[in-house]
Amino acid sequence: MEEDVFTPAQLHGAVRQALEVLNQVLLGKAEQVELAVTCLLSRGHLLIEDLPGMGKTTLAHALAQVFGLQPTRIQFTSDLLPADILGVSVFEPGQGTFRFHPGPIFTQLLLADEINRTTPKTQSALLEAMEEGQVSLDGVSRPLPEPFFVIATQNPTHQLGTFPLPESQLDRFLMRITLGYPAAAAEREMLMRGGTRQETANLPVCLSARALQQVQKEVEQVHASASLVDYVQRLAQFTRDHASFSYGLSPRGALALLRAARSHAWLQGRKHLLPEDVQQIMTAVIGHRVRASEEASGLGSATGSSLSVARLMAQMKAQVDVLG
Amino acid sequence: MFKISLTGSKSQPKSAPVQILEPLTPTAVIWQLLAFSLVVLPLLWHLPNWISVVAALAWFWRWGISQGRIGRPHWSLRLLLLVGIGLGVLLSFSRSTSLDAFAALLVLSLSLKLLEIQQRRDALVLLYVASFTLATAFLFEQSLVMGLYSLAVIWVWITALVSCWQSERPSHWTRPMRQGWRLFWPALPLMLLLFLLFPRIGPLWSVTLNTERAQTGLSDQMSPGEVSQLTRSAELAFRAVFAEDQVLPTPSQRYWRALVYSEFDGRSWTLGTPPAGLRTEWNALEEMEALSAPIDYEIMQERSGRLWMFALDLPQQATSESRWLPGRRLEALAPIDQRRQYRLSSVLEYRLAPQLSEALREYYLRLPPAANPRSRALAQGWWQAAEQDPQRFIQTLLDYFNQSFIYTLEPPRLPLNHAVDAFLLETQRGFCEHYAGASAWMLRSVGIPARVVAGYQGGEWNEAGRYFTLRQYDAHAWVEVWLEGEGWRRLDPTAAVAPERIEQTADLFFADEPSFMADAPLAGLGRGASRWMFALQRRYDAVNFQWHRWVLNYHEQQADFLRDLLGGVTPWRMILALLIPAAVLLFAVWLGLYQMRRAPRGDALERAQKRLFAKLARQGQRREAHESLAEFARRMAQVFPEQAPMWQSLATADERWRYAPDANRLDYKACLTALKQCIRRV
Repeated sequence: MEEDVFTPAQLHGAVRQALEVLNQVLLGKAEQVELAVTCLLSRGHLLIEDLPGMGKTTLAHALAQVFGLQPTRIQFTSDLLPADILGVSVFEPGQGTFRFHPGPIFTQLLLADEINRTTPKTQSALLEAMEEGQVSLDGVSRPLPEPFFVIATQNPTHQLGTFPLPESQLDRFLMRITLGYPAAAAEREMLMRGGTRQETANLPVCLSARALQQVQKEVEQVHASASLVDYVQRLAQFTRDHASFSYGLSPRGALALLRAARSHAWLQGRKHLLPEDVQQIMTAVIGHRVRASEEASGLGSATGSSLSVARLMAQMKAQVDVLG
Repeated sequence: MFKISLTGSKSQPKSAPVQILEPLTPTAVIWQLLAFSLVVLPLLWHLPNWISVVAALAWFWRWGISQGRIGRPHWSLRLLLLVGIGLGVLLSFSRSTSLDAFAALLVLSLSLKLLEIQQRRDALVLLYVASFTLATAFLFEQSLVMGLYSLAVIWVWITALVSCWQSERPSHWTRPMRQGWRLFWPALPLMLLLFLLFPRIGPLWSVTLNTERAQTGLSDQMSPGEVSQLTRSAELAFRAVFAEDQVLPTPSQRYWRALVYSEFDGRSWTLGTPPAGLRTEWNALEEMEALSAPIDYEIMQERSGRLWMFALDLPQQATSESRWLPGRRLEALAPIDQRRQYRLSSVLEYRLAPQLSEALREYYLRLPPAANPRSRALAQGWWQAAEQDPQRFIQTLLDYFNQSFIYTLEPPRLPLNHAVDAFLLETQRGFCEHYAGASAWMLRSVGIPARVVAGYQGGEWNEAGRYFTLRQYDAHAWVEVWLEGEGWRRLDPTAAVAPERIEQTADLFFADEPSFMADAPLAGLGRGASRWMFALQRRYDAVNFQWHRWVLNYHEQQADFLRDLLGGVTPWRMILALLIPAAVLLFAVWLGLYQMRRAPRGDALERAQKRLFAKLARQGQRREAHESLAEFARRMAQVFPEQAPMWQSLATADERWRYAPDANRLDYKACLTALKQCIRRV
């Protein structure tokens, strides 16, 4: 028992090291990598939205490896059924009973690849399990392992053969990030190295699953002062009052903002939140929970293109006064 | 662990249990080292030097470890050290099992423990033992300075305790001092209350310090050269306090009586034991007839380890803790092992024992038959010349001293046999004990009863405290001579040789003699140095005296104080008297802490920050909405690099006040101060 207790300094060092390892794998994506780790530390699920081949799966695999989590991958297709994810009870003629065969969801890190290519029915089966932390089948509740972390990737919604996730389900993800094309120098280095999948399997494990849970506990204790909470509230209020948003942030969204900011502050080695923390994670946390109004986005696209969301966030940051 | 939280504990989530095995932060190690050195320092003065060396080595070793220069001692080495110090203590203190040995053992084990501290648990052990060690320092020294010093050390101690519970390295190593202070000051009023009201219980067992050192002072026999030895010391003997309404004795009346020597063996004067038949008469209190109004005063006697007490010539009544001894001197019932305070009243004009029985008169004439033939002959000659009139004989004796004798601190050594002859006829140089002894000899040899009285003469008057200070160098010896019809009269031959010695204080008289206060170089510094230093020294002495009188000896006044306060001391009244003020005090402290915790109305801060923004905006530096004050200040630090430290400190202060978990009113003030400074200097 005792060797599993780490000092805050040890934990912080290990997470920092994990970040460095990840940055070695995903070149030039320090910001996204940090956001992904932030999300993991806040016990949130992560949605990566980008074109195929941008490194989404690599990021997911590398995360699983350095945090010592047991990964499972599900490739979502249009004919995938809920039972393919959750598991199924099979009748055993010998005993005359049903036996439950757990599905791939019973894992610590679930990589749901191209989640928007499956039908809403299957999507909701996964998302409910994410929210509840358990699977209910045939009247029996089966808890999912601890920690349980879902990284879902989705292709941009304007691609063919996709079922866009509805707002209520997007809400289940703490963050949505996009990776984007690598910078020229980073891409050049990646091409030189060859970049094989094999690489991620050989990464060092920086943190045990138990240590990760300890970090998650510590993150929850990061202090949010009254001034800071006021600031978060003003941000939420802005999305509701301002004409650029077609609808504003839910209270759950505001809570998510605070939660993610806590682990960002912890990553910086602080025990209290600063406005910078909120500003850093704002786009990733709020981006998929709000929608630009018609006149703001100009195009009337669904769930706001990343371009219009970025503009909205910049506007919000510039107009909401930190000092009240 | 009981933890006082000064910040909104309600808003904070319950923190994880603190691990006792967690390693200490570098800051905590600094505070351990600091607390250790401050606690040990006052004790080192009183212990053998090798212990200081061990403590210093341990300190530097631990410092080296924290700097990463030296490794930790191996367990075998630690064991060796343990055995080593055990043996060292045994050897150093083998002769006496006094408290010094235990104090030494405490200091040494603390030093070894210091080498071991690594985790929180070790630091706690070190600190708890250190708190005990700090208390033992009072066994050796109880001055006001020591009291204030200990208070300061307690603050440091609390800070060290705070720092070792912090698992995070604070922004600056002095930072825990503030938390230490916040725990320290609320305890002060409570301390005062307990001091005033808590009943004093006598010690359950008594402990003796190594008393050898404490025994400079008079002794129960007097041989030539002994009193002059005392003048080498400026150690305090006693103080005599006179109330405002009392008439002070004039310089020539300031004779403080301690001992009366009645027997002479040819060389030394001793207290004496008369033959069996004389005992009852001898032990009876000599009658005294007062010829002037009595003077009341209070003596505060320093620890002497002896029985005798001091009284202005001549005391009227014994106190409850003393008894009369022959020669009308006072003796305590138990050795004076600690400072003692007693009230006396004395009469300056008196007639003592006008009736002296034949047997006692014989006793006061006894001399060793064969000694000092030449002076005996000289005395006989004078006696004839004076026509057997004691008054004229005394006058002749004093005139003889006045002719060619020299009063000096460094008299030549006298031969063992016929010492009085040698002094009177050859060397003619001596200190008060020579003159007193020789006079008594001469008087006795012609049949005039005489005895030698030892005590102190003079004293330095301290106006601020209204007391005389008598130091060892004020030690003096004089003669009492019995005259028919007059009783015992004081005769001070020193006054004939060196009248200034009696009129002035000893320190002024001897200031030029090299051996005077030779053992107290620092005490002599204030004398010649300058007038203000002298005044300062007196002022300090007065303060220290009040400290002794009201604080250290408070237990003697407590009963009166409580009676006046409560109108009778009963257990119930005592309990109420303790509980009610304690409750009020605790409530006040809580209220103070609550006030401090409550966020002050931010008006002043808000106004100040608006003014700063406006002022900077005029210079083209506009704050963006998304910038907190701290971020803005950091940006300004880059814009105005020459003022960078000021902006940095504003950023730190703002971040603390607005966002840190334990922010309180002090942080608010710090932030406001930093803001105002920036406004001024922009």
